[in-house]
Amino acid sequence: MNKWKKQQPATIKPYKRPTLSGDGFGGRAGFFLSRALTNIRQNVFVNVVTIGTITLALLIVSLFMLIFVNLESAAENWSERVQVTVYFDRELAGPEQVSFREKISALSGVSRVSYVNREEALKRFKSRLKGQETLLEGVRPEVLPTSFEIALKRTHRDTVSVENFVKVLKRIPGITEVQYGEEWVRRFNSFLNFMRLLGALLGGFLVIAVIFIVSNTIKLTIYSRRDELEVMSLVGATRFFIKAPFLLEGLIQGTAGSVLSVTLLFGLYEAFLHNAGSFLTFNPTTSGLNFLPVEYIAGLLLAGALLGFIGSLTSLKRFITV
Amino acid sequence: MIQLHNVSLAYQQDASALNNITLKIAKGEFVFLTGPSGAGKTSLLRLLYGALTPNRGQVLIDGQNVTRMTPSQIPLLRRSVGVVFQDFKLLQNRTVFENVAITLEVLGWGRADIGKKTMHILKQMGIESKYNLITQRLSGGEQQRVALARALVNDPKILLADEPTGNLDDANKNQILNIFKEANIRGTTVVVATHDRRLIEQSHKRLVTLNKGEIVEQVEKTTTGDDQAL
Repeated sequence: MNKWKKQQPATIKPYKRPTLSGDGFGGRAGFFLSRALTNIRQNVFVNVVTIGTITLALLIVSLFMLIFVNLESAAENWSERVQVTVYFDRELAGPEQVSFREKISALSGVSRVSYVNREEALKRFKSRLKGQETLLEGVRPEVLPTSFEIALKRTHRDTVSVENFVKVLKRIPGITEVQYGEEWVRRFNSFLNFMRLLGALLGGFLVIAVIFIVSNTIKLTIYSRRDELEVMSLVGATRFFIKAPFLLEGLIQGTAGSVLSVTLLFGLYEAFLHNAGSFLTFNPTTSGLNFLPVEYIAGLLLAGALLGFIGSLTSLKRFITV
Repeated sequence: MIQLHNVSLAYQQDASALNNITLKIAKGEFVFLTGPSGAGKTSLLRLLYGALTPNRGQVLIDGQNVTRMTPSQIPLLRRSVGVVFQDFKLLQNRTVFENVAITLEVLGWGRADIGKKTMHILKQMGIESKYNLITQRLSGGEQQRVALARALVNDPKILLADEPTGNLDDANKNQILNIFKEANIRGTTVVVATHDRRLIEQSHKRLVTLNKGEIVEQVEKTTTGDDQAL
């Protein structure tokens, strides 16, 4: 009797209601991820080409960034030389010196004020004429002027700011003679602006070229699998279901490409560029080129992942015509 | 199950692909669509699985108005409609099993259930021994049976076929026709577009003839002894 009852439903209904593969977001994400990884395994060549393209493209961009960052920091160092000097033809006594120092320090944009007395001035003069000390025979400290050397803050080193600063400085009673190497400041700043413009222009072209190349590569890889997209939509897959594995694949490709390019850049840096600065004398304070700062590296990794993701997204839009 | 009311469709303004078509296909029916090339057979089928929307008129599938569906509702419609084509549309670098299982993966079935159900349908199609072969290596008849397995594995309410036997020899044609009939017996509404007169004549089913986008002839054929021989 019991046997009967147990067997009957099995013959009528051979399949029970299917269990779903993973419930909720986690299960779905797992499914899509495993699908994306399977896709990568099944299309190794296409994936190697895409990752290689992303790697090379980002390597070019990051090399450019490395050079640009180092040029900027070299420029920063050179701009330390932007300095305003106030000359006096007499030695300033203690209280007078203090009052001048206070008045100058109160001006905006001043980072450091130092007094150079006659002894110090002679010492510097001598060190500049090293090897030809005989020229200085008979020169006494009294013939040299005393001075205040004023270093400016970074934001106040451009031509206009320096000129404005000098104007204000001259309004202080007792200050008449001011020098700041105006020609040098002007040239240096116009050179700096030119470099920045050139950098922005080249960098912009480079980024556009990279986006173009990478998005076309991804487009080709998706084009080569358009039949898969068609079949999926034919059997009733939602757009999200079709897209998700491809988007994850793009994300993986982009991340892999950017990690590889940063690794390659570091290898290149360690092998060749580390000491390149010493003969280029880019950077007087350090012995060689600096590697990219951490935030630039993070930016590169993020850019790679985004490049893969957005490249896939825009390409998919073209091929999914439900 | 399928209703078309005054449906017109034009790809370009001057040339209309379908012109004022009104057609009703009842649940469980088996219908052949025929007519010369360019008569509108394929266009009509495409309307039924939501790949095209008509310029005028209404298309109802199982009580739902396809013409008013949003793009996100179309996939849900397609889950109850199986489609097969003359060129099979299989994934060439995938195995037979993977090609059929995709239908169930889309529905979110678990792995074990997909395995059971897929092998079951492959057995019905007589190709269960080839489940692990790449579809490229199969003959035309076998490939069409894989495509049919993919369309039928989900027990669809409707099965649409566009010239399903166009690339096949006579022996394979008969096998494919038998699969259609078996699906029909299990309750699936079947619509086959073909211009293969022999296929139509030997199956004794309802026949709708199209020409230049219009229905020119409808023949109700009753089933005879031939079908019972199945």
